[in-house]
Amino acid sequence: MGCNTPEADGEILALLISSLTQVGLQDVRVDLGHASLLKDLMNAAGLDEQQKVSVQSLLACRDSVGLKKFMEQNNFQSGLRDAFLQLSCCRRLDEVSSISLNGSKYDRANKQLESLMELTETLKDYRIDEFVFFDFSLTKKIEYYTGMVFEASVPNLGLPIGGGGRYDNFIEKFGKLKLPATGFALEIGKLLQALTAQGFEIPEDPKTKVIVKSKFRDTAVEAVKALREAGVIASLEVTKRSLEKTMEYGKITETDYVVSVGSSLNSPVTVYDVKSNVSRDVMLQTLLEELGG
Amino acid sequence: MNKKIRIAIPNKGRLKKPAIEMLARAGIEVLEEDRAYVSRTSDPRFEAIFARANDIPVYVHYGAVDLGITGHDLILERDANVLELMDLEFGACTLVVAVPEDSPITSVAEVPALTRVATGFPNITRNFFEKRGKQVEVLEVSGTAELAPKLGLAQIIVDITSTGETLKQNKLKIIGTILESTSRLACNKIAYRTFETQITELLARMRGGSE
Repeated sequence: MGCNTPEADGEILALLISSLTQVGLQDVRVDLGHASLLKDLMNAAGLDEQQKVSVQSLLACRDSVGLKKFMEQNNFQSGLRDAFLQLSCCRRLDEVSSISLNGSKYDRANKQLESLMELTETLKDYRIDEFVFFDFSLTKKIEYYTGMVFEASVPNLGLPIGGGGRYDNFIEKFGKLKLPATGFALEIGKLLQALTAQGFEIPEDPKTKVIVKSKFRDTAVEAVKALREAGVIASLEVTKRSLEKTMEYGKITETDYVVSVGSSLNSPVTVYDVKSNVSRDVMLQTLLEELGG
Repeated sequence: MNKKIRIAIPNKGRLKKPAIEMLARAGIEVLEEDRAYVSRTSDPRFEAIFARANDIPVYVHYGAVDLGITGHDLILERDANVLELMDLEFGACTLVVAVPEDSPITSVAEVPALTRVATGFPNITRNFFEKRGKQVEVLEVSGTAELAPKLGLAQIIVDITSTGETLKQNKLKIIGTILESTSRLACNKIAYRTFETQITELLARMRGGSE
C-alpha cells in the first residue's frame, strides 16, 4: 500500500510466483492484463455496451478473424485496428512494447502501454518474466482495479488459483486517505486441489494432540504452554463440561490424550488415553519428555 | 508436460452423431465409440470423453475436460463460465414457452402471477420471467415437460423444440421464444491458455472442415 511504482507491482508478482513455487506447484503461470486499457480503447472507438460485449468475447476466444471483421464493420481507424490486432496476438509482455497509438485521444491508452512496458523491465530484474504472460482480454468482474490485473493458474486445474491487481482508488472510498495499492489473493482450497492434481500427498501430521483440563486455570495455562513448547498440539478445555464429555470430544477431534492438571505442576498430572480409556499419573516433566522426544 | 487434451462428446441424443462426425472431419476420429467413457482418438494428442450433454458445461467449467461439444442452451442453463470457441451450427433448437392450445393465454405478458411452469431449464426459465417482472413458480422436471399441463402439474411449460412436432402432438401452442440455440465448442479458460497452439490448430481444421 502507498506505492504506485512498477517496482511495487513487480514485488507483488514475485511474491505471488514464489509463494506458489514454494508450496511445490509446478508449471505455474500468471496471465496479466490491464484493467482499463481495453475499456479506454473501446471508448476511443466509440463502441456502445452491446458492441463492447461482442469485442470482449471475440478477444477472449482469440478469434482474430471475427475481430477483423467486426472492426471493419464498425469502421475502426486503421491505427486502432492494428493496435487491437497486435494486442490480441501478444502473449509475452515484451511484445507489447512495440505498440503505441497516434492522437491525443489515445493518451490514456499510451500511458497504460508505457506502464506495462515498465512492468516488463521490472519483471526481468526479478527474473520472473518467464512466468508472466500478457492477455489483452483479461478483465475482472470486480470494478475497483485501476492498473495491472492478473490470474495465476497451473495446467492441472481448470480454475485460477489466485489473482489480483492494482487498485489505486479503492482505499480512498473508505476514508479521506488516498492510497494507491497492489495485491493478490490465493484460494487455499484451490491451491490444495492443484497440488493434489500434481501428485502431491498431504503428509499426515505426526504430532500428538492433547487437551488439558483443570479446575485451576493458572496451572492449566502453564501446562498448555509447556506442552506446546515441547511440540505437542495442546488445547485448553475452555468449557466446563465433565471429563466424560471431554473424552467424547477428544474422540471426535482425534485427540490422543486428555491431561487433567491439579493445583500445582509439582504434583503428578493424570493422563487419559482417549482411544483406550486407560489413565495413569505421571509428572508433567516426564510426559513432556515422552511426547516431545 | 504431455497431458492429453480431453474433449467431451455427448454420450447419447441428437448431438452425439454430428459431434463425432465434426471431429472426424477435423482429423480426430474417435476410436472406441461404443465401448468406453474415455476413448482414444486418431490424434494421439486428444482423447474423447463421453458424458451427458447436460453435464458437459460443468465439466468444461471446472477443467475436468479441456473442450466439450454441447448446446448453447445447456451452457447457459448450467451457468458455466466457459469460452464458446465456435458455433458448430448443428443441433439447432429453440427454447420456447408453451401453453395448452385451448388456453386463453396468447403471450408471455398475459401469464398470470404464481403460474406454475414445468421445465428442464429452471435457471433460464427463472431468469426469463424475473426479467419480465413475472412471479412464477418454476418446477424442475427432467424430460417430458410437455406432459405437465395434461397432468395438471403446471399450466405452462418451457421446453426445447426443433420442429414443433412434439408440442403439436401434445396439443400445446407456443406463446414466446426464450432463445435460439445450436451446439458449441466450449473450452475451459485455463486450458485455452495452456493448449493455445493445439486448440487454435484444431479450430482452423474445424473451420476448414465445416466449409
